[in-house]
Amino acid sequence: MSQFILPVFIIVVIIIGYVKRTGVYDSFVEGSRQSVKLILEIFPYICAVLIAVELFSLSGLNAYFSRFLAPLFNLLGIPTELCELVVIRPLSGNGSIAILENIYKTYGADSYIARCGSVIVGASETVFYIATVYFSTTKVKKLRYAIPVSLFSCYLGAIFACLLCRFI
Amino acid sequence: MNTMFFIMTVASLILLTVVSPDSAFSIMISGANNAISLAFKLCAIYAIWLSVLDIMQKIGMSRALDRLFSPITKRLFKGESEKTREFITLNFSANLLGMGSAATPLGIKAMEGMQDGSEKATDNMILFMVINATSIQLLPATIIGLRASYGSASASDIILPSLLATLISTVCGVLLAKVFSLPSKGKKKEPVSLPEPLKGAKLK
Repeated sequence: MSQFILPVFIIVVIIIGYVKRTGVYDSFVEGSRQSVKLILEIFPYICAVLIAVELFSLSGLNAYFSRFLAPLFNLLGIPTELCELVVIRPLSGNGSIAILENIYKTYGADSYIARCGSVIVGASETVFYIATVYFSTTKVKKLRYAIPVSLFSCYLGAIFACLLCRFI
Repeated sequence: MNTMFFIMTVASLILLTVVSPDSAFSIMISGANNAISLAFKLCAIYAIWLSVLDIMQKIGMSRALDRLFSPITKRLFKGESEKTREFITLNFSANLLGMGSAATPLGIKAMEGMQDGSEKATDNMILFMVINATSIQLLPATIIGLRASYGSASASDIILPSLLATLISTVCGVLLAKVFSLPSKGKKKEPVSLPEPLKGAKLK
């Protein structure tokens, strides 16, 4: 059912656009032009962040950092096996999917660990990526309390994810 | 962001220099390479969504959506123009449906509409970012698909906990953002260079 929503939605939009004589082809040309402009503008930010993230995860610092934080996370109800995932989640979307796949392989997709991990990934976003990309075309340099509030809320979500998976 | 970047790169580089100095540079290149392939992917997705968005705006569909959500968005984002609210609404709709990549260009446009020209993020911009960063997705379709492909017997049993967890994080984020925005309410600068619709709210 849900696989029909997207194509049907686009068909409806294009048909109404055509009937109302808005120039559907022109819109696609304009949209593509805007896309190229937008990418050029956000690329430097993505590049800088991804270099840092790649270094962080491949140097092994990520693993050390997770091990260091594990006692604290355990105290909050997050199992040790998920610490690496929780640490990388706000930094890298692809990175957290890779770790989640690893968890599925190691513990089985229906284990408590796998369910918790799924909920943590499914119920949060790549905070740092959003912070850089969303502000990239504005003049804003100081994000003030944006990142601390986002991170705190996401971690609260993760703590509740581990709690909820025990009961639901 | 600068401090964060500094700590992450320098600490990783020092660790790498000790453990395996040969790989340090190639890892940095692979990070930049990831960015390039991601940029190409995003460019394709944005091209399609920005085109569909262009048509939606011309046929008045985004305004209709905005009217539907305006009771919520007007209250959350006080003093933003109708145009900006439209982008906010569209961004939220895309996020709710789990189309994060469609939501990003809309979010960027909304941010552009909310900036007041200074280097500091406004309270509304931060609130908007926090809502995006805490995820408001109704159905984690990607994760369910991934889980099913690894042989889960009931891949969709994470829907309810995900929904609750994301609800908790978003509510907490909104509340915290509102609390943190209180002190700056008192010492608002003269709204000289602000666009028309912003003035009313800032003077209050």
